[in-house]
Amino acid sequence: MATRNLGGFLVLILAIAICEAASVFQPISDSHRSAASELFTATDGSFGSLEEAYEALRSFEILGIDKKSDIRTATCQSVVDKLGSSSSAPKDLFYALKVNSILKCKVNDKIFEGIAARLNAIANTASSLLDFYHSIGSLVLIKDQSSEVDVLLADAGGIFHSIKSLSQSDGRWRFSSDNPESSTYAAGLALEALSGVVSLASSEIDHSKISTLKSDILKLFDSVEKYDDGAIYFDEKVVDLREHQSPLSTTASVVRGLTAFAAVTSGNIKVPGDKILGLAKFFLGIGIPGNAKDFFNQVDSLASLESNEVAIPLILSLPATVLSLTRKDQLQVKVNTVLGSSAPPLTVKLVRALSSGSKVASTIESQELKFDKESESHFLDVPKSVDVGNYIFVFEVVLHDSEDEKVYATGGSTQVQIFVTGVIKIENAEIVVLDSDVGSIETQKKLDLAGENSLALSANHLQKLRLSFQLTTPFGNAFKPHQVFLKLRHETKVEHIFVVGNSGKKFEIILDFLGLVEKFYYLSGSYDIQLTVGDAVMENSFFRAIGHIDLDLPEAPEKASRPPTPAIDPYSKYGPKAEISHIFRVPEKRPSQELSLIFLGLLFLPLIGFLVGLLRLGVNLKNFPTSAIPATFGILFHVGIAAVLLLYVLFWLKLDLFTTLKWLGLLGVFLLFVGHRILSHQASTSAKLKSA
Amino acid sequence: MLKLLSVLTFLTLTLPFLAHSFSPDHPTDRRILVLLDDLALKSSHSLFFKSLQSRGFELDFKLADDAKISLQRYGLYSYDALILFSPSVDRFGGSIDLAAILDFVDSGHDLIIAADTNASDLIRQIAVECGVDFDEDPAAVVIDHTSYAVSDTEGDHTVIASDDFIKSDVILGSKKIEAPVLFQGIGHTVNSENSLVLKVLSASPSAYSANPKSKLSNPPSLTGSAISLVSVVQARNNARVLISGSLSLFSDRLFRSKVQKAGSPKKHEKSANEQFLTELSKWVFHERGHLKAVNVRHHKVGEADEPAIYRINDDLEYSVEIYEWHGKSWEPYVADDVQVQFYMMSPYVLKTLSTDQKVMHVIPSRLSVFPVDFLLIPFLIFVLFFVLQGSYFTAFKVPDVYGVFQFKVEYQRLGYTSLSLSKQIPVRPFRHNEYERFIPAAYPYYGAAFSMMAGFFIFTAVHLYSK
Repeated sequence: MATRNLGGFLVLILAIAICEAASVFQPISDSHRSAASELFTATDGSFGSLEEAYEALRSFEILGIDKKSDIRTATCQSVVDKLGSSSSAPKDLFYALKVNSILKCKVNDKIFEGIAARLNAIANTASSLLDFYHSIGSLVLIKDQSSEVDVLLADAGGIFHSIKSLSQSDGRWRFSSDNPESSTYAAGLALEALSGVVSLASSEIDHSKISTLKSDILKLFDSVEKYDDGAIYFDEKVVDLREHQSPLSTTASVVRGLTAFAAVTSGNIKVPGDKILGLAKFFLGIGIPGNAKDFFNQVDSLASLESNEVAIPLILSLPATVLSLTRKDQLQVKVNTVLGSSAPPLTVKLVRALSSGSKVASTIESQELKFDKESESHFLDVPKSVDVGNYIFVFEVVLHDSEDEKVYATGGSTQVQIFVTGVIKIENAEIVVLDSDVGSIETQKKLDLAGENSLALSANHLQKLRLSFQLTTPFGNAFKPHQVFLKLRHETKVEHIFVVGNSGKKFEIILDFLGLVEKFYYLSGSYDIQLTVGDAVMENSFFRAIGHIDLDLPEAPEKASRPPTPAIDPYSKYGPKAEISHIFRVPEKRPSQELSLIFLGLLFLPLIGFLVGLLRLGVNLKNFPTSAIPATFGILFHVGIAAVLLLYVLFWLKLDLFTTLKWLGLLGVFLLFVGHRILSHQASTSAKLKSA
Repeated sequence: MLKLLSVLTFLTLTLPFLAHSFSPDHPTDRRILVLLDDLALKSSHSLFFKSLQSRGFELDFKLADDAKISLQRYGLYSYDALILFSPSVDRFGGSIDLAAILDFVDSGHDLIIAADTNASDLIRQIAVECGVDFDEDPAAVVIDHTSYAVSDTEGDHTVIASDDFIKSDVILGSKKIEAPVLFQGIGHTVNSENSLVLKVLSASPSAYSANPKSKLSNPPSLTGSAISLVSVVQARNNARVLISGSLSLFSDRLFRSKVQKAGSPKKHEKSANEQFLTELSKWVFHERGHLKAVNVRHHKVGEADEPAIYRINDDLEYSVEIYEWHGKSWEPYVADDVQVQFYMMSPYVLKTLSTDQKVMHVIPSRLSVFPVDFLLIPFLIFVLFFVLQGSYFTAFKVPDVYGVFQFKVEYQRLGYTSLSLSKQIPVRPFRHNEYERFIPAAYPYYGAAFSMMAGFFIFTAVHLYSK
């Protein structure tokens, strides 16, 4: 079991490795040119610094974009300023001279002489690698720009030695003698500086020194890092340095150093062509970098590789790896240098074509591609034996001139993943509802899977559904797509997906609803039937609703699992709510005002009756005291009663209980007093009357 | 000593302002930590980063396994947002781990996660915590044989051209996205019970998630439009998270790529990735859809001051101003679906607020009191219109139920931060002297009492003095 697993794992790894190896690198193209114009933008005709200006100008120069005139005036001005100033640092001079080498500004030879003398002094006394790099680099530039200035180094051997003394045993360099950390980036700078020393040397540098340097370079290549697709790159080993230098700038530095050194020394540096090709692949694999520095590093390194003395990489690229049988596409292969210029005469051979199904057997025999001069491409009609599918084509580049083989690196064979697509024929599609026990056909419907269908079927849990169809390639072979799904979708959005299996050309699935009731959560009702057939090489992949089936399934038992809750629709969830307004209590119904007034009138009738009765009885006030004092008390008594009654009216109208009680108390005392007086008077009068 | 003291005071005064999540008081000054697998991503995804930098974000690029990275310093967050472009990282360097990232989000900070094929368990776990499940098969990618991007070099239909966007102007901007978005990566599903996660970019019904290199014997776990390609989460604390199953979605390559969707004759010069992600990142970093409500006011009709208590059946006016953050300033937010509830256990009144128009009529009449040049008035109205746009207003009658009520504004809309305002206010019944008096229906009763009193007065006189 374990060995089988391991075996499967190895196959998987192998499959991944093969597919990864099949990625295609494209040389620099027009998209790079348009990106360059976007990335390097000068503000007011000048760049932020001369370093940026150089990077922009150099990138434009390599890509063949003519933009010099736009920035010439302003940039030349700052170049002349920098060169003329006696306090400019070597780094500034270096970039000023680099810009000048492209723009060719008018600089006096005298200025060059002065700078050359200063730089010579710096080179002789420098201790840090950057000083060497900038001063020697500047001297080399002066040598190229002005033939009359003497820039030759008197003590070239000494300078060479002091730079070499910073190198480490593993081929990397230190930035200065008091800095113990060694860096790959520094190695590139050192190599460039040393190549400058060699070219500036007044007498020949010791041969043994150069050969040790060559072995150092080979050591540097031992520490190279690899991607799966064959690209190789250099990276800093020390994490602190890694923050400052990305793999791209480190690799670019090494490539510049290597190519510069190879240009000035005779005799080959024995770096294998594969490694150089790997470096080229690394730079091309980046695509189009998004920042100016990376862009410059990429383009400049590729330019260095384009014309180097070690090995010039040739890149095999395919404009299209998806070939359509219906369009009768031709296989087109281009072989270019990294910058897209044409390669020396060569032949491209298609050695093998591995079908993704069978890893070993080649489906075609070796064939040569025809070269078309006009498009500088190699063409081949897709061989007859190649059906639709996924292939790995193995190409080999053979150079016509054997001398070229020393100059160019082709990397042997190249594997490319090719998709051959075509229209797949769909035939004999039918859908059948069967009775489970006997297998007799209940309903049978033909399907046209190329067009629209809207079937209406019905079945119960004792029946089966059978869907079958045939798929054949244009060459009549059986075709097994990656995706053959039958989807049943209930009204409540519960979905069930089945993979349709095949035997040869025939695809068939039988859904026995009796066994599926539990999976279907006992949900009866209408199910939409959808069929998806798709594959990477199938041009007519489709996703089609076939129709619907009404399923009559038994009632769910109590223990049955519930269907999953459908997802809430986010749009409806967030809508505004319905308004609510409060329903107020209705006030109680009241009689009409007229009715109240009539009753009010009626209520005064008893009072009137009382008065009439009194008059009828012939009441009089003859008992009212006649003498002054009792009469006064009598009047006061009745005024008091009237006041109490008035107080009641006022209480009804406006007074509150406390005020009323207070007044009532006062009036009560008063009434008690006057009442007592008048009543006792009346009593004595009536007693006198009785006794008399 | 004095120096130390001054340094300490400086620190204690300034530290709280150096870094915190999006807050309405200090919405600017946003620092983003970007964790990368490989520093080369910095240049291969530069267009995305540039669009952030041009909007004023300060990006701090770090390798995900850098031992010196940390989100917090001295208990304060040094970043306002985190971008995880490190799908394969198994363990972050420094003090960052799953819990630290969750705490970061829990304290209201934003997060962007980009996974990819072979995404590490750590990244998957972070996604799970955000309510998103990536396909468990590590080799599975989203494949779509009917809506892939037509390409001469990519034949395996894993570069998907998707145009099934969420219909929300606030998340994706008001400008319609014309071209499809290119996606290459793994799919995920959102938990249907999680209402905080939204699918922003969904796969087409024919898509499925599987390993393109192996034959399928069982149905894949993710199929059809259930697959989400890009999802967003808005947590309850308004922290926003963007989860994408593709890192190359953000890459310059796909930003610049030409698109032709399979089966459609239309060729687009540029994919919509740039527009899609720029707009989406505006949303994630709270440049859009972040609301604040101020000046919540209510008062009786005809009065200006807020009462301490309402009586039943009072007529009241309620107003609130709502503003939306636009990256640089708060702009009035205009909508017609802001609702207020008058709430005690359940809403008694629920009314849609109208954008305040009434004030408009009042102002010119008030202005005319002052000696203002009449030509100025239209201008002033124009200015005031913009000032008052975000102002919402309504009037209603207090229900005839007394108790402790709340004015509640629960504003939850797709993509917007939720507004939840509540203001408590008691409602009392009528006082004894506030009831109606001298009701005509009671006149007979009054009349009876008074006729009785009149009779009594006459009777006393007659009884005492009649002979």
